Amino acid sequence: MVSTPVGVRKGAWTEDEDNLLRKCIDKYGVGKWHHVPLRAGLNRCRKSCRLRWLNYLRPNIKRGDFTRDEDDLIIRLHKLLGNRWSLISGRLQWRTANDVKNHWNTHLQKKVSARGDGKSKSQKTTILKPRPRTFKRIVPFSCRDKTTYEPNISITDQNSDNPSASSSKQVDDECTQWWSNLLDSVEIDGGSNGISLELQQEDNGWNDSSLDMDILKLFTENNMIN
Amino acid sequence: MENSTQESHLRSENCVTYDSPYPIYAMAVSSTTSAAARRRSIAVGSFIEDFHNRVDILSFDDETNSIKPVPSLSFEHPYPPTKLMFHPAPTSAANLLASSGDYLRLWDLRDTSIEPICTLNNSKTSEYCAPLTSFDWNEVEPRRIGTSSIDTTCTIWDIEKGAVETQLIAHDKEVYDIAWGEAGVFASVSADGSVRIFDLRDKEHSTIIYESPQPDTPLLRLAWNKQDLRYMATILMDSNKVVILDIRSPTIPVAELDRHQASVNAISWAPQSCRHICSAGDDAQALLWELPTVAGPNGIDPMSMYSAGAEINQLQWSSAQPDWIAIAFSKKLQMLKV
Repeated sequence: MVSTPVGVRKGAWTEDEDNLLRKCIDKYGVGKWHHVPLRAGLNRCRKSCRLRWLNYLRPNIKRGDFTRDEDDLIIRLHKLLGNRWSLISGRLQWRTANDVKNHWNTHLQKKVSARGDGKSKSQKTTILKPRPRTFKRIVPFSCRDKTTYEPNISITDQNSDNPSASSSKQVDDECTQWWSNLLDSVEIDGGSNGISLELQQEDNGWNDSSLDMDILKLFTENNMIN
Repeated sequence: MENSTQESHLRSENCVTYDSPYPIYAMAVSSTTSAAARRRSIAVGSFIEDFHNRVDILSFDDETNSIKPVPSLSFEHPYPPTKLMFHPAPTSAANLLASSGDYLRLWDLRDTSIEPICTLNNSKTSEYCAPLTSFDWNEVEPRRIGTSSIDTTCTIWDIEKGAVETQLIAHDKEVYDIAWGEAGVFASVSADGSVRIFDLRDKEHSTIIYESPQPDTPLLRLAWNKQDLRYMATILMDSNKVVILDIRSPTIPVAELDRHQASVNAISWAPQSCRHICSAGDDAQALLWELPTVAGPNGIDPMSMYSAGAEINQLQWSSAQPDWIAIAFSKKLQMLKV
């Protein structure tokens, strides 16, 4: 470990310290910040060295006012990402996250709140994000142990707990009914694993034969929904 | 349509060609006849990598086997239209064409001209829009159009009100295609490799019924069999397989049709039969498949095939004309008789 944390300098960086840091980076490259204070001969914390480099000493940092394009981009990204400045600055060329944050807080925030109030009253379409339900990976029909997707076909007449599932055999009748059954039976699957497994153990033999029948039926003309 | 199992090449009398002055991509065949009983309208959208593109309306007459452009019914479209569709149940008062591209636009088809009706734009900050990759017009509820966009959302529009009915964040990456199943149920495919089904009655949940075997392989197109709502077909990016899914047995495809020699670009179920599907791809072939009751050990072979002159980019099979399939490749449109 380097010098004890108690002894490091805090406060503003002097020009000499900046030069030492620059020379060290030129010599050893960027990275391995834990070596930098030792190699540069700086009495600074390694975190401080890294931040100083990233926010001030990097050669390509764009200083000066933010252009209109950059402002528009920042507003859009902030709407999308919120206060995640490192992500936002990642999209902007050569602006540090710190600069973007400061610019936002001083200039752009009031602009957006002024604009937002006007627009939000006119159209308020809430964007919903449906949470996806997935089915467990289905094992081919030959494997008789796991029939985890079976709820559609298997749980009929057997399970009194789920009245909605009992009608799942009437798949051919109406698609709307099928859909509600699909969603209901998925709930059963995801919710109480214990119950569904139990059912399958009981019904194992019956399941498979009904499965085969259903597979054959799938492609025959009798099953066509008009 | 008979279930012929012989491979047959279509003869030249059964193939009508139209040469367009520019490459075409989007295509739509109208669902009803026009005043003269045997003529059909076909809308073709150009694919020029520029702001200025055109949509032309062509008239297809299968008695004379000719496709002719109707010069008065041609209009400018900003950016290439990604999809075109006619109103599924047009009346004389409302004969509409919808196009997607940067926005969803509706056009009114009159006898001598086409007038834009509206541009449906959902972004609140009107400077930026997320381009639409595809859309689908709900046949059961023709006032609903669902659009899919690269900003990972699907938007359901009520076109009579001209307003958004719902907007859902459908996927984790760009959504490439959307298809209606019923009045309130639709499915979409995305670059994240999943096929998800959404029900407008339960907007809190969606159901993933298939994910591409290599994670993050985008799924490009989705076709829902309107004759038998259990079946859907999808294609993966850069893959020669057409994956047939049964929504009652999720995650495992019912069949994988892999007789194409290059990537598949377009798929379409037969409008009048629940077992037939047509696919076209970069091998310049359009293959017609019949899904059997029991698949043979070597996979499923196509029922018939057609070789076009170049990679086929688009395929449309109209319900109003079940014995003609429309394909588009380079600058040509061909109608193939089945």
